Amino acid sequence: MEILISELCKSLGVSRTTIERWIRQGKLPVSQKGRTYSFHARDLKNWAAKNHISLNLKPRPVQGPEAEMQVSLSTAFETGGVYHDIDTGPDVPSVINACVERIKAVPDNHKTDLARQLIKREEALSTGVGGGIGIPHPRTPLKYLEQPMVATCFLKHPVDYHALDKQPVSTLFFILFPELKFHLHLLSSLSLCLRNRQFSEFLKTCPEQSELIEKIDALHLTQKM
Amino acid sequence: MSKLKQTYNSFYAKFFLFDDRLVLMIAGAVVGIFAGLAAVALRLSLASVLEFFTPYRQYAWAFILPGIGALFSCLFLDKVMREGAGHGVPEVIYAVSRRGGLLRFRSTFSRLISSFLTIASGGSAGPEAPVVMSGSAIGSNIAKFLGLNDRQRMTLVGCGTAGAIASIFHAPVAGLIFSVEIILGEWKFVNIIPIAIAAVAGAQVCEAIIPTKELFQPPPFSIFTGDILGSIGLALFTAVISVIFTRTLRKVGGLAKRTPVSPWLRALIGGCAVGSIGIFMPMVLGEGYHPIMEMVGGTFPMAFWLIFLGIFLKIFVTAITLGWGGSGGIFAPCLLIGSLSGVVFYKAMMFIFPNAAVTSEGAYALLGMAGIMSGVMQAPLSSIFLIAEITGGYEAILLLLLVSSISSTLSHIIEPASFYFKDLIERGEFMRPGTDARVLSDLSLNEIIDTSYTTVSENMVFRKFINIIRNSDRNHYPVISDETGDYLGMVRVSSIRKYTLDPAFYDMIFLNQIMDTDMVTASFDDNLHDVLEFMETFNIDHIPVVDHHRFSGMISKARILDLYRRELIMQTNIQ
Amino acid sequence: MVPRRLPMNYKLLHIFRNTPFGRETFLQSLHFCKTINAHPVVYIPKTDKFLMYFSNDVVQVNLDNSFLAFPDTAHEHVIALFDEAGIPPRFYEPKDFTASTLPDISSQFDYMCSPRSISDRSSKIGLGHLGPKVRRMIKQATFPILIASPVFKAWKSISVFFGGSSNAMNALVLGLKVAIASGCPLKIYTVLEKDTEEVYRNMVRDSELEELVDQYVNEWCFYESTGFDRMLYEVPHDSLIVLGAYGHGVIKEILLGSKMEYIQSTVTNNLLVTGPNCRISLK
Repeated sequence: MEILISELCKSLGVSRTTIERWIRQGKLPVSQKGRTYSFHARDLKNWAAKNHISLNLKPRPVQGPEAEMQVSLSTAFETGGVYHDIDTGPDVPSVINACVERIKAVPDNHKTDLARQLIKREEALSTGVGGGIGIPHPRTPLKYLEQPMVATCFLKHPVDYHALDKQPVSTLFFILFPELKFHLHLLSSLSLCLRNRQFSEFLKTCPEQSELIEKIDALHLTQKM
Repeated sequence: MSKLKQTYNSFYAKFFLFDDRLVLMIAGAVVGIFAGLAAVALRLSLASVLEFFTPYRQYAWAFILPGIGALFSCLFLDKVMREGAGHGVPEVIYAVSRRGGLLRFRSTFSRLISSFLTIASGGSAGPEAPVVMSGSAIGSNIAKFLGLNDRQRMTLVGCGTAGAIASIFHAPVAGLIFSVEIILGEWKFVNIIPIAIAAVAGAQVCEAIIPTKELFQPPPFSIFTGDILGSIGLALFTAVISVIFTRTLRKVGGLAKRTPVSPWLRALIGGCAVGSIGIFMPMVLGEGYHPIMEMVGGTFPMAFWLIFLGIFLKIFVTAITLGWGGSGGIFAPCLLIGSLSGVVFYKAMMFIFPNAAVTSEGAYALLGMAGIMSGVMQAPLSSIFLIAEITGGYEAILLLLLVSSISSTLSHIIEPASFYFKDLIERGEFMRPGTDARVLSDLSLNEIIDTSYTTVSENMVFRKFINIIRNSDRNHYPVISDETGDYLGMVRVSSIRKYTLDPAFYDMIFLNQIMDTDMVTASFDDNLHDVLEFMETFNIDHIPVVDHHRFSGMISKARILDLYRRELIMQTNIQ
Repeated sequence: MVPRRLPMNYKLLHIFRNTPFGRETFLQSLHFCKTINAHPVVYIPKTDKFLMYFSNDVVQVNLDNSFLAFPDTAHEHVIALFDEAGIPPRFYEPKDFTASTLPDISSQFDYMCSPRSISDRSSKIGLGHLGPKVRRMIKQATFPILIASPVFKAWKSISVFFGGSSNAMNALVLGLKVAIASGCPLKIYTVLEKDTEEVYRNMVRDSELEELVDQYVNEWCFYESTGFDRMLYEVPHDSLIVLGAYGHGVIKEILLGSKMEYIQSTVTNNLLVTGPNCRISLK
């Protein structure tokens, strides 16, 4: 298998100038066709083994924000689903239980466990951020989920959620995720949306899933500017 | 047919470029043969001219002969060959450590001719260094002809050196060891075989053309217990003489540089001075192999005090020849001074302890040679093997070891750098593979620099900047002028953190108000060593590279560590 | 905010001769650099020889005495010429020395300017004689060499001599690069030796240059094999000729002589020559 210089650069973590210098100095096993150089994977591996050099012929993982890994908010909303008119008791645990019951994406056998986690989280600190909105989320990732998601639950009656502004809560966004790295991103995207006055007014109308997602997309577009 | 051709081509290509052992061996043999021929040519021509000139030396005007010789030598090098005069061996070492062994074609024969002119006319120099230079240049140019890479070319340069030394002294082992110890500076298995082959080839060339085996034909001698003390004493003596020799060489050379005369006149004057001394003591002229032969044979007729004086005269005369425009090496003078020292020491020792159980005067001459060589060149291994091969046997190996190691160690303590390396070390050009200096010299700023930085305009509003850092992982943002594109300063997120957290600032400040204009920068003209020292001293781990007001990228310590390690591994591990 | 592409810092090495003749050559370098947005770096020689180390050869250049003339005024003359052209002065000081009188000049430049001959007497300088050192440098250098016309001539167009060899491709890329940077019109000239027009056009099509060629090349002139001299005459006298040299193999060169020698002894244009080791990128 032939390896190009650019790939070798990434595997060894050095610049092209360095590779060219090593070729000139005779330190790399290279075959020359006219003016272009190419490497064979087999030769490289032999050479690396003989000289105790660690050579990783697969491209190195890039450090830093994994932008490509992020799931967009609207996709998360779609996965999570939107649920209306949820009838609940007046306290936080019953709200959680009732909502979790409705969320389709969560497998049935995990629902009780999830509810318990969420209640625990609320006991530590309320996720009511004010303006009638709550953002419950578990502390640890849920391995059984395939995708991260935001499940929207509109309550039939507002409930006292011990929110920051002491107002009762009628809309809950459940942020559920299989890995921690999604959590922060979704949280920040969501809070960005919620800061928008228009959006929070829009929420009060308990919109349908498609309308909600449309609105979120539109909001994101304007924010990218 | 084409499949066959394909297989042949790939076989050849692989064979040739990378797994090149066979090619190097054959090329090494060829290089050794040519280097050997060069050595033999010089030796024979010198021998014949010596015979020619001998009857003339008794005349008073003969003092001018070395002057004319040095003058012609100087003119030849300067006007005909346009070769910058320099000492041959340091140039070869420089080429090997800094330039991948590249040597000019003219060096394959220029020094041969110039040193012939110098030595044949009576100048006190040795033919060995010029032959080493020729041999190395032959190796380098054959490598160039074959299109070899740096590593292979350096091997062939080593082959040339080995072939040359092997041929001049009929000492293949000494050739190999000198090449590896002095020129290449590293023992690598890939190198040893071609160099050994070249050494043998060179020695065989010598044997084929000049049938006498050993250069000095010493009579056999045996060792006694008293010799151990004697050797130690001799070693101390030769160490002192070596230091005197090295320092005189440098002083006289320095004096030459300060004398406001044209180089050719200088050569003439120097040569005449040599000639004048030569009239008084003809032994100091030329390479001096003849007196050495007599001393080794124990038949040297001079009186004690004359010999003692002779040591210093020879030192002085060599320094003038080499420092004032003549061309040649210091091997042969070292040998002569060494045997003189050995004989003087022996005579003194016999005077003080007339009944000591020691070996012959000739043996002490040989040991003296080893002592001076080790002391001046600080190459104990080469000296040991050279003398052992010259004597044709290893009877005296114990004493040789003693003398060489003590002399070289002692002179190293007094004068830390050998004659060959001193210049290079002073210029900072002496770099053995796997040393810090070598790693830093191979790496260039270009290879370390990280150019993937986002630049920002000086007039950017802070709010916009916040958006940028939201989506990036960088800590440094170079600020660029809108009109000229020049680098103005650096925004460091770590320093402006407090502003980023206070939204009140977002619309209130522009980047040119919070940028750091004092941040020290490097440029592509700086060398890596200085940049590193700088970063150490001021404890910074990121430095921007600004080239004539243009931002090019940044250098980070973390990246330097990565690349430094890689480079070190590449330099030392690669077989 | 899109990261702005910084303009590349191209450097041209110019070895200054402090004589009126040298001034013409330097004016040529200055003009060239200004037009393609590069920067001349001047070396005022203090010794009459220097070495340039390439990857497979070391070339010793012997300068004739005119290069060392009047050292006291050299520096200020250079600065004056830089100022006249409106470019900040930049000098090159060698840092490494192979011997005390033999500086090493770096080969890490992007261009180098050379008169037609460096080491021969002025009588040979005019036309006709391309010094052997210049030839060797062209063979080894990784950068193109600008062979300046004897008298300063501001070129206004670019003519690429395309002969179809791999080196000629290099020349074409270089020609395009210069055209893009300078905005001057570009023409290609080809002498049809054995192949037809189509073959040459296909060569361009097969490479990735097709779009650029369409965009920047005003005209592609073909000449029959006997029309070489006619072509040389028809190239405008104030055009920069870009060509590849020594790409044809040693034997052919010895037997047939070098085209480049012939060209440079016949025309007075500035020549931008790419050697076999040049690598031009369009970035």
